Amino acid sequence: MMSGVNSKKMRVVVLGGGTAGWMTAAGIAKLLPDLASVDLIESQDIGIVGVGEATLPHIRGFVERLGIDEAAFMKATHATYKLGIDFRDFGRIGESYIHPFGSFGEEVGGIGFHHYWLELQRQGLAAELGEYSLAVAACRANRFTPPAQDSSLASTYGYAYQFDATLFGPFMREFGTSIGVTRHEGLVVDVERDPESGDVTALLLKDGRRIEGDLFVDCSGFRSLLLGQTLEEEWEDWTHWLPCDRAAAMPCTHKTSDIRPYTIATAMPAGWRWQIPLQHRMGNGYVFSSAHLDEDAACEALRKAAEGDPLADPRILKFRPGRRKHSWSHNVLGVGLAGGFLEPLESTSIYLAQMAITYLIEMFPQDGKIDPRDRDEFNRLVDMEYDRVRDFLILHYHATTRDDSDFWNHVRTMQVPDTLADKLELWKRAARIEKYSDGLFYDASWIAVYIGQGMLPDAHDSRVSLPDPGRVSGAMDNLRKEIASQVNAMPGHMDYLKSEAARLAEAA
Amino acid sequence: MSQARERLRRICIAGSGQVAVITALALRRTVPDTEVVVLGLPGDPAAYADRAATALPYTNKLHDRIGITEEAIIQQAAGSHRLLMRYFGWGAEGQSGAMPYGAQLDAQWRTRFAKEWGGGPRNAAGRRPAGSLAEVLADAARFAVPPGDMPTPLDDIDYALRWNMPAYRDLMVSIAQQLGVNHVVGDIAALEPNGQGGIASVAVEQQGQIQGKIEADLFVDCSGPAARLLSALPEAKRMDWSTFLPALRLLHGKPQQGMLALEDRASLLPEGWLVEFAGADGLQITLGLAESISEQDALQALGVEPAEMVTLAQGCAKDAWAGNVVALGDAAASFEPLGHLNLDLAHRQLGLLLEMLPGRVVEPLERAEFNRRAALMAQQVRDTLATHYVAPRARGVFGEKPLPESLLHVLDQYTRRGRLPFREEAALLNQEYMALLGALGFPAGVTPQSQSQDPGEAEAARTAFEVQARQALQFAPPYQQFMAQMMQPQQPADSGIAGDLQY
Repeated sequence: MMSGVNSKKMRVVVLGGGTAGWMTAAGIAKLLPDLASVDLIESQDIGIVGVGEATLPHIRGFVERLGIDEAAFMKATHATYKLGIDFRDFGRIGESYIHPFGSFGEEVGGIGFHHYWLELQRQGLAAELGEYSLAVAACRANRFTPPAQDSSLASTYGYAYQFDATLFGPFMREFGTSIGVTRHEGLVVDVERDPESGDVTALLLKDGRRIEGDLFVDCSGFRSLLLGQTLEEEWEDWTHWLPCDRAAAMPCTHKTSDIRPYTIATAMPAGWRWQIPLQHRMGNGYVFSSAHLDEDAACEALRKAAEGDPLADPRILKFRPGRRKHSWSHNVLGVGLAGGFLEPLESTSIYLAQMAITYLIEMFPQDGKIDPRDRDEFNRLVDMEYDRVRDFLILHYHATTRDDSDFWNHVRTMQVPDTLADKLELWKRAARIEKYSDGLFYDASWIAVYIGQGMLPDAHDSRVSLPDPGRVSGAMDNLRKEIASQVNAMPGHMDYLKSEAARLAEAA
Repeated sequence: MSQARERLRRICIAGSGQVAVITALALRRTVPDTEVVVLGLPGDPAAYADRAATALPYTNKLHDRIGITEEAIIQQAAGSHRLLMRYFGWGAEGQSGAMPYGAQLDAQWRTRFAKEWGGGPRNAAGRRPAGSLAEVLADAARFAVPPGDMPTPLDDIDYALRWNMPAYRDLMVSIAQQLGVNHVVGDIAALEPNGQGGIASVAVEQQGQIQGKIEADLFVDCSGPAARLLSALPEAKRMDWSTFLPALRLLHGKPQQGMLALEDRASLLPEGWLVEFAGADGLQITLGLAESISEQDALQALGVEPAEMVTLAQGCAKDAWAGNVVALGDAAASFEPLGHLNLDLAHRQLGLLLEMLPGRVVEPLERAEFNRRAALMAQQVRDTLATHYVAPRARGVFGEKPLPESLLHVLDQYTRRGRLPFREEAALLNQEYMALLGALGFPAGVTPQSQSQDPGEAEAARTAFEVQARQALQFAPPYQQFMAQMMQPQQPADSGIAGDLQY
């Protein structure tokens, strides 16, 4: 190993042993072994939230970077593959669409595929948009195979995992402690600060132990003991745009022997309900607005609607959508719920934690000192990510014709952020998407939700009627056939998981 | 129910240079039933996008889209290939470095999913490559364009094309004529406003006589730095870049003997910068002068017989699209030909216009979105140019200049942290800009991760690169030999008419 610029390691103290805490500790210990020592404090007296059963494709890169074997990871967390989310009843009751980890069709003559689809749709010749997406078609057929590593049709999708979040933390704990993270079991009762700088210097545990550090990562969940309670970093509340602030979660048995390679999100009168298939059970939950529904009623609604037999009573989780004005203040950063939270609608929770960890590693203090410019850069990047995801989530609620409850009347008619209002208008007037290449959710995602939720534009590109209509519809039919044929050649998701299990057994 | 927008009936393109011609060609291809009229205004020597005899790799894709083949450029317009820019003396006396084109990507960044969900190659920061195949090939004067139908050791090499500008323009004019682009020679006598912040028609004069007027739904201003159409609109504003870009005078030498070289060079002299452009039809030398340099000193530094001196007014339109007038090339942003960004920017702006081509009625928000992206493109070009003038030794030649905030931020992160913040609509790929910073002598900060990297990994990457380099050298013929083959006429004769910007 090469020695660091300064041989003195920075002492990183991670507070909290949930998903965010162990991901942070493992990430730093694995990627910056010569720059940092990592201590993690967790208490058995404090439970972990453990939501975030569904993930985004970006998690794969993170896990790979840490050198974790995918098969071992999937086995430990009872993971299944995920190709997208099936949104039901969002735009209108009875309608559904899949937001895939993938795209729709291909641009022709430099014009986006959706313009041609809109034109064909006007002529009554278009199939459902999802039929032009390999990922959607695979979801519909309950099939899965890993994507190709080239630029063919078979490379147009990606995948993530659906896993048991309560097992992910322990898996990362085992991994973290195996690569040098020091774990402390105990309850923090006091926080010591430098009287001059205001920096946190040590955490005192109930049994009298004192854990000193140079950099503290607050992964204590919504409690946010360091960033929120101690440093009093202001919270920017987004409840007015994202009114859901509770989730009732209830694990159930699998009802069928098949396992879907996608998550289902079904809109409910005061929020929405998830169904996340894991290897060994079905995760069910109801995300709702406490201003529109009380907890008992939500649990009752969940029991009625849940897929499979309950394995436990519903558990209520409370959250507040928003983020800290500064995710990094003094020598304390918030990662996970302590820094911010956007409700689980697009499974962004683990992504947002992993994004913050990645930026922390890039901006990691050098020579034992925190440079305010790096702190500013970290905060700028984290804010940009949160704000872009926020607008995309609000779209799911706002793009609706539902008027069957106070909740949907509120989100349908509320004033959205200006940044989103302009995007909506640009789509409505010209079927165009505001382009950016940083952050999360690009054109294909916006198009999936706009069209999926029935928000058709008034007009599309003038050039789509130039080619011979027969040729366009012929080419689009061929694409559907090609997609159908490739999906037919894929194994079933369940079969693929079983074949993986066999491979694991051989390896062992 | 969404309806296709009504198509533009007529587009008028103002300008006579290669930017106007390629714009006409591309628009004619994308909307074949729209009348395209080029109003051939007199040229401007300070229109460097029009003067440029080269661009960057993006242009190769644009050529493919509009049906200009590489064979035609090489055979009919003295085309040649450039794999890299070589920089001398920018960091310190005697220091040099190369900026090869393209980026080395892991397989996972090449998939269509990565392109559509991960931002594509522009986002792939990746690790600093262990070496540059382009540099190995340029040093050995070996190269061939990979055939494309089979994998070769040269597939990762990206390149820019050079050409003889008048011949290249003629080639495009002949294609434009075949496609039915109309051409009117004259000057602007008057502009008739359309009452919506744009233009209804242009009155055309020849030798003081009004010849008639051109009405159009959309006007594209390719008239050079004067931006003859855009600047006439009440809301047009130009932003001055001269604070950041101190070379205000350019001295051009008379073309020297042509050569086949895989690189161009930019050297820093006590008098300013000197670019040697290795055209197959002639070596062109340009000197960008520091403020205090006398004409006599400049002539000496140029080293060849002078041809002309051009005074620059660097800057960009605040909004490149106002009303129904879209400015491209120097009409949108005007600056020195350092790093060959001029025509590249014009082509990327044209690409943006093709992507966002409006219907007969322009939607204000699509105009705003075009302007947002075009402004980012221009800003990134400005910052890339300004980077040159604050290279360690360049500060002594050009004097201490203020830096744009955006560039300060990037340089701070690079020199302290060894990272490049993501730059939306960047002029160069991340790996290219990293290489440029290295070639200009900026010291790179050490990334936290590399401080913990196993030296064995770096060693393995170097070994793998050496293998790749050997394979590339074995595969690539001497560049002269490849070019001799390219000059052989192909059968059947290339009409230059194919293109995939059609349906």
